[in-house]
Amino acid sequence: MMKPALNSTMIGCLFILQGIASGDDSNIKQSSQLFRDVVAPSFEKACLSCHNESKSRGGLSLATKSGLLKGSENGPVFEIGKPDESRILEVLLGDKPEMPKKAKPLDPTIIMSVSEWIRTGAVWPDSIKLADKSEGVEIKPLWSLQPVQNQKIPELPQSHQNWRINAIDNFIAKDHISFGFKPTPEADRRTLVRRLYFDLTGLPPMPEDVENFQGNTHPKAYEKLVDHLLATPAYGERWARHWLDIVHYGETHGYDKDKPRPNAWPYRDYVISAFNQDKPYAKFIQEQIAGDVLFPESSDAVKALGLLAAGPWDFIGHAEVPESKIDGKIARHLDRDDMVGTTVGSLMSLTIQCAQCHDHKFDPLLQTDYYRLQAVFAAVDRADKPYYDSPQQQLRYNHLQHQKLAVQRRLPILEQVIRVAGGPKLAQIEERIALTKQSVSQKDHPQYGYHSQIASDQKEVKWVQLDFDNPEKIQKIVISPSSDNFNNIGPGFGFPLRYRVEISDGKGIDDNKIAVADFTSKDLINPGIKPQVIETPSGKGVRHIRVTATKLAPRQNDFIFSLSEITVLDDKGQNISKKAKLTALDSIESPVRWQIKNLSDGIAPALLSDYETNTLKLSELEKSKTELIRQSVSSKVIEERNQVANELQFIESQLKSLPKSEMVYAGTVHHGSGAFAGTGSNGGMPRSIFKLPRGDVKNPMEKVGPGAIKVLKFAPSEFQFEDTDDESKRRAALADWLTHRDNPLFWRSIVNRVWQYHFGRGIVDPPGDFGHMGGTPSHPELLDYLATTFRDTGGSLKALHRQIVTSATYRQQSTGPEEFAQRDSNNIHLWRQNRRKLEAEAVRDSLLAVSGQLDYKMGGPSFKDFVVQQPEHSPHYEYHLANPDDPAAHRRSIYRFIVRSQPQPFLTAMDCADPSIRVDKRNESVSAAAALAQWNHGLVLALSEHLGRRIQSISVKDTASKVRWAFQQCLSRQPSTDELQLLTSYAEKHGFDKLARLLLNLNEFSFVD
Amino acid sequence: MSKNQSRWHCSESRLYDNSNGISRRDLLRNTGGGLGAIALAMMATESETRSASVESNPTGTPGILKGVLHHPPKASRVIELFMAGAASHLDLFDYKPELQRRNGQESNFGESVEAFQNGLGPWLAPVWKFGQYGQSGQYLSEAVSAFAPVADEITFVHNMVGKTGIHSQATLLQTTGFSLPGFPSAGSWISYGLGSMNDNLPTFVVMPDHRGLASNGTKNWDSGFLPGQYSGTVTYPGQPNPIANLQADERYRGRFSSDSEADALRLMAHINRTHASQRPEDSRLDARIRGYELAARMQLAAPEALDLSKEAQHTLKLYGLDHIPSTYPSEINALEETQVFSRKCLTARRLIERGVRFVQIWSGNDNGFPRRNWDSHEDVKRDHGPLARGMAHGASALIQDLKQRGLLDDTIVLWSTEFGRMPSSQGGLGRDHNPYCFTTWMAGGGIKGGLKYGPSDDFGYKPADRDKPTMIYDVHATLLHLLGIDHKKLTYRNNGIDRRLTDVHGHVIREILA
Repeated sequence: MMKPALNSTMIGCLFILQGIASGDDSNIKQSSQLFRDVVAPSFEKACLSCHNESKSRGGLSLATKSGLLKGSENGPVFEIGKPDESRILEVLLGDKPEMPKKAKPLDPTIIMSVSEWIRTGAVWPDSIKLADKSEGVEIKPLWSLQPVQNQKIPELPQSHQNWRINAIDNFIAKDHISFGFKPTPEADRRTLVRRLYFDLTGLPPMPEDVENFQGNTHPKAYEKLVDHLLATPAYGERWARHWLDIVHYGETHGYDKDKPRPNAWPYRDYVISAFNQDKPYAKFIQEQIAGDVLFPESSDAVKALGLLAAGPWDFIGHAEVPESKIDGKIARHLDRDDMVGTTVGSLMSLTIQCAQCHDHKFDPLLQTDYYRLQAVFAAVDRADKPYYDSPQQQLRYNHLQHQKLAVQRRLPILEQVIRVAGGPKLAQIEERIALTKQSVSQKDHPQYGYHSQIASDQKEVKWVQLDFDNPEKIQKIVISPSSDNFNNIGPGFGFPLRYRVEISDGKGIDDNKIAVADFTSKDLINPGIKPQVIETPSGKGVRHIRVTATKLAPRQNDFIFSLSEITVLDDKGQNISKKAKLTALDSIESPVRWQIKNLSDGIAPALLSDYETNTLKLSELEKSKTELIRQSVSSKVIEERNQVANELQFIESQLKSLPKSEMVYAGTVHHGSGAFAGTGSNGGMPRSIFKLPRGDVKNPMEKVGPGAIKVLKFAPSEFQFEDTDDESKRRAALADWLTHRDNPLFWRSIVNRVWQYHFGRGIVDPPGDFGHMGGTPSHPELLDYLATTFRDTGGSLKALHRQIVTSATYRQQSTGPEEFAQRDSNNIHLWRQNRRKLEAEAVRDSLLAVSGQLDYKMGGPSFKDFVVQQPEHSPHYEYHLANPDDPAAHRRSIYRFIVRSQPQPFLTAMDCADPSIRVDKRNESVSAAAALAQWNHGLVLALSEHLGRRIQSISVKDTASKVRWAFQQCLSRQPSTDELQLLTSYAEKHGFDKLARLLLNLNEFSFVD
Repeated sequence: MSKNQSRWHCSESRLYDNSNGISRRDLLRNTGGGLGAIALAMMATESETRSASVESNPTGTPGILKGVLHHPPKASRVIELFMAGAASHLDLFDYKPELQRRNGQESNFGESVEAFQNGLGPWLAPVWKFGQYGQSGQYLSEAVSAFAPVADEITFVHNMVGKTGIHSQATLLQTTGFSLPGFPSAGSWISYGLGSMNDNLPTFVVMPDHRGLASNGTKNWDSGFLPGQYSGTVTYPGQPNPIANLQADERYRGRFSSDSEADALRLMAHINRTHASQRPEDSRLDARIRGYELAARMQLAAPEALDLSKEAQHTLKLYGLDHIPSTYPSEINALEETQVFSRKCLTARRLIERGVRFVQIWSGNDNGFPRRNWDSHEDVKRDHGPLARGMAHGASALIQDLKQRGLLDDTIVLWSTEFGRMPSSQGGLGRDHNPYCFTTWMAGGGIKGGLKYGPSDDFGYKPADRDKPTMIYDVHATLLHLLGIDHKKLTYRNNGIDRRLTDVHGHVIREILA
C-alpha cells in the first residue's frame, strides 16, 4: 500500500550542508532526502510544466527554491516548518484537488512527503534547478474548441434501414449497434400527439385534436401536424420561454428595493416573434447584441437589445452610489460581468465568468479574454431606450443619436485643448469657481428643510401647515425653496409645480379659510431657490397657514413636495414662524437634513448670509474665465468648439422634433444624471477597463481593449476597427465574432440546447458548460452533423425542430426494456424517448386551457398576478392579495410580470426558472410545497370550479359520460374501466369541481410520455 | 480497506474526539510522528472522511451526505437571527470607551474613508450605557441587557468584515456567501447536506419580519441552483395563513370537507400508483406521490408546531408572552417588538424540537421610512431602541429556554446582520454604514461561550488586526464544521464549477470551539 518513500542509505552530504540554522541534524537529513527522492521528482512531473521560470502560472515558479519562497501572485505558498500553514499542500489535497491541473492528483504518500519535507525544514539546495519532466502526461485538448466537422451520415446495415426515418437516426442507430441497444417501438398516436403539442407549443391538445390525428390515415399525417404546430403562434410563446430562461429575463431589478421595469416586455415580444418568424439564428443573435448598429432601420433590432439588460441590476449600487466610489465601481463591474455571462457565456456554453479573478482554472480561457469582453460593454448601462415602429423614423433616430454621440465625444477633446492653452491661470480661475460654488452650497448648513413622503402619482395632494394657537397679525409669508443635488436637481428641489397658500383664523384650517395665493391652474416655472413672497390681507388675524401642493415636483421616477423655510412676518416685520406648531400630511423625518421642524429654523439656501455675495462673485468669475479663454486660446479652437456646440444643439433639436417614441428596457448608452449618469454625456465614451487581480476593483492592472477569446483562432481576439471610442462598433464586432461561421461553440451550443428541450437531456449535458468540467458529447458526430446542417441551411430553428421531432429516435416510446435500463439508466444512448415532467408554465397554461379559461391574447404589457403595496420605496409584491379568478391574469405564463425578489410562489414551487440566474435546465424537485400548491392554491381551485361547471354543462347527461369527457379533456385519453368507475362514484359523491381538482392533480396531468 | 470498516457511526463517534484531528489539515498539524504513521493515518482518513456517519434518526430523509458526515458533529441544527438594515455593533455589543471620551470631536480615521452617505461627522459615543455581565464580564448595552442571563453562553466575533456597504449585496453575502443573487443560502446548503430530521415538517423554515421582506426578498433563503425543496419555507406564526397553501385558499376553503379531501387523496394515490406501475423506470412518479403524502402529514403537523397555546405559563412569561394586550400603540414600541420577536423565537424552539434543521428569524424589513429596520442613519437611539429591546428579550429567552431543555447543546444560535455602523455620526444622531467592521455572535452547540473573539480597533472602525479579519466564509465554515461538515467538501456542480457555501475561502474559527 505504501511505497517506501526514503532510502536511508542514500543520504548525500551535499544536502546536509544546506541545513537550516535552527534545525537539528535528523530533520535536515530527512528533509534533504525527501527533497531528492520525492519532492523534486514529483514537482518536475506534476508542477513544472506550468510553474517554471519562463511560464509561471499564477506568478509561481517551482524551478528554484527562491521561486518557491517568493510565492504566487496571491502571496506565499508555504512556510518553512509549518505544513498546516502552507497553501501548497492545501491545493494538492481533497477529492478533486485544485492542483495539479494538467496531471493526475498526487498520491497521498507523496503529499505527505511534501508535508514532512516542509515540516523538517524544506531543504532545497540553491544549486538545484528543477525542469519540466511532464512528458507522457497527456493534456487532453478540449473537444468543444475543435472546429465543427462536416460529418458523413453513417451507413446502416439492412436490419436498421426500416427503422430509420432521417439522418439523425443513422447516428443514433450506429451508436445502438456499437453498444448493443435496440430502439424502442414508436409510441402510440395519442402519446405522440400529446408529446408534440407540449414540446412545440407548451399546451395540451384538445380531445378533438387527438381524435383528428388518430383518425388521419394520411402517410404524412405526423409531418403535417408538426408543420401545423410550428406555424401556430403558440410555438413562439413556448420557445421564447426557454430562451428567457437562458438569458434570465425579469421585469424588476432585483436586489434592494426591487423596482419594476415597466418597459421590459417589448424584448419578450421580440423573442416570441423572432421564433415565430423563424429568424435566422445568427441574425437573431446579432440583433440582440448590436441590432441598433447592424440593422439601423429596424425597431425589432432595438427591442432585441433587451438581452443585455435582461438580468438583475443593482439599483442602489448605480442610482445612489456614483462610479467614483468603490461600491459604485463594484456594482458596475458586476453589471458588465452579467452582460458577459448572458452573451458569451450563454451563447457559447462557456463558463467565461470564472476567468474574472484569474485565468480559468480548467479551460484555456484567459483573464484577459474576460476583461476584453467586459470592454465590449464598457459604455453600456441598463435603461429605457427609444424605438420607433416606423422604419424611417427608427433609421433617422439611430442616425441622429449616433451623430450626437460622436459630437459629444469631440467636445471634451476640445475642452482639453482649451485647458492646456489656458494654462495655470485658467486652472486657477476654475478652482476658484469650484470653491465658490461649494460655499454657495449648503455644506455648513445641512438642515435642508421639509421633505414629504414619496408619491408615485404627481397629482397626489400634500400640505404643510403652521398653527400659532391664537390669531396673529401678519403681513407677509415668505416661502423659501430647498436645494438638493439628489439626481442633479439642485435649486428648487421638490418645489411644487402647482400650489396654493391658505390662511384661517378659526380653530381649524377649514374655519373661515381664505386663499392668499393660488397657483393651481397651470404649471409654474421652477423658481430655483428664490424666496416667494406672499402678502396677506392687513388687519386680519391669522392662526393657521397651510401650503398645499396640488402638483408635485418630479424627483426620480417619482414625486415629492419639499420646502426649505416658511417665514412669517408680523405687522412689526418680525419673523414669528418659530412660534408656530408645524404639521404636514406626511413627512420623511430624516434629521438633520430633512425634518418638518427645519421649516422654521431660519436656514434656507436663499437666506444663507454668503449666498448673494457668492452668487455675484460666481458670475464675475465666469465672465473672467470667458475673457481669459478668448485671450489665450486660438480663435480657431474656440470657433471649433462653438461649432461643435452648435452642431450638438442642432442634432438635439432634430431629435426633439421626432415623434414620441416607444421605450424598451435595454442595454444602451445611458443619458442620466446624478450618481447614475451613464456615459451619455461623454458621447458614450467607453469606460476604461482594466484587468482586475482577483476581480478587485481597488487594484486595477493593465488596461484592456475590446476583444474576445484568444484560444479560438477563427478570428482575431483583439477587435480591430477605426474608431474604438465608438462603443457601438465594439458590440458589432462581438456580434460578428460570435456568429462567425467558424465559431465552433456558437453553433454546437444552440443545437444542443434545442436537442435538450426535445429529449430532456442534451447531447452534451449540462448544456451550459462545454469546458473541461462539463460533460462531453454522447454523440459527437451527431452534434457536429446538426451544427453544420443548421449553420449551412440558414440557421432555421424550425427546420431543426422538424428534423428532430420527425426522426424515429424522437418518436420512440418512453418506456423501454428493463435490460437496457440496467445498463444505461440515464438513457444516454437514446434507446427510448425520455418522459418529461411539465415545466411550471406548461402546468399553469394547461390548467387554464383545459378549464376553458385561457386567454390566448398575445403580446403587450405583462399581466400582474399580485398587488403592489408601498410602491414608493421598496414595492411589496403581494401575490396572496390578488384574485386568482381574475380573467386579466388568465393569459399564458410567458406574459406574466416577473418579479425577482418575490418570485411567483405557485410557479416557484414547481421549479420555474429563477430570473436571478441563467437557467440552462430546469430543476425537478419534489416537495411538499409543490404538492400543496397544486392542491390548494387559489388558481387551481378557481379553475377547478370553472372546469367543474363545464363538466356540469356539457350536453351528455349521465355522470359517467361527463367523467369520460373531463378525463379526455385533461389527459387526452379514455379512462380505463376501473378509473371511470372510481371517478364517477367520486364525482357523484363530491361534485364535479372536486373531480376537476383531482384530475388536475394527477401525475399524468403533469407528465408527458 | 473496505468502506464499512471505517464508517463512523453514531455509536462509534465517541472514539473520535475533536482534538484527535479529523480533517487532513488537522492531521498535518497535529501528528508529529514519523512519516509512515501520518501517511497511514491520512489514507485511512481519506476513506473515512467520506463515511463518518452520525445521523441515526430513524425518521426524515437524509441529505446528499446520506447521513454520513465528514466528522462527528457538535450540533445538528441552527437558529439564525438576522438583523436587516445593519445593526450597530457600537451601540449593542462592542463597547468603545474611546468613543465615549471623544464624543462630539471631529472624527479622524487616519485614512480616507468612503462612507455610503458620506456620514463622517464627529465621533458619536454609544447611545446607551454599557455594563458587564456574567462571569465572563461580557459587555452589553442597556438596550440589549436582557442578554445578561446568557452572557456566558455567547461568543462575540467583533472583527467581522464585509465587502460593500450596499444593503442588498451585503445581505446576500451574509446569507449566501455571495454578493449577487442566485446562490443557495446557508440554510439551503445545510438542508441539502444533512437532509431532514422529520417526515412532516420542512427542513428549513424562515420567519420574515411581519412588516415585509428585507433587501433581496426571498432570495435570502432561496435554494439558488440547488433543487427547490431546499428553499426556506416562509412561515408567519400567529397569522391566519402561516404557511402558503397549507390549507385550501381561504376564498374556497369552505367548499371542501375532510371527507372529500380524504376520498380525493386516496383515489388520486390509487390512480397515480397504477400509472406509475406501468412506468417502473421513472422514480419521479413515486416521488411525486410521496410529495402529496408529506404534504398531508404537514397539514397536520404544522398547525400543532405553530400553536403556542399549550406552552407553560412560565415559558410564556420568560418570552414576555404572558400578557398580550388587545391592541398596541400605533407608534413602534418595545412591547410589541418583544412580543412579535419572541413569538418567532418560541416558535423556533418548537420547530427545532420537532426536527426542523434550520430556522431563520428576521428583524427589520426594507430600508424605507419610518424606520422599521436597523438602518439608523438618522437616529440610532430612536430607531434601534424598540427593535433592540424586542430582539434581546426574545433571543435571550430562546437561549435560556433551549438550555433548560437540553437543546442548546446541539443547537447553534447565530446572530447576524448586514454590516456595522460608523463610529462617527452623520451630523446628527445617526450612523452611516460600516462594512469594514461589525459584530456577529454565536451560542450553543459546540461554541465555547463567554468569549470575545477578534477585537475591533478602539473606534470599532476596523478590526484591531486588519490583516486578520473574520469574514462570513469563516463563520459559515465554523457552522458547517460544528454540524459535522467539511465546508470544502459540501459542493454542488453548477455551470462547470463545484460551488461551495464558502466559495474558495473560509477557515474554521477554532478559537471559539468548545
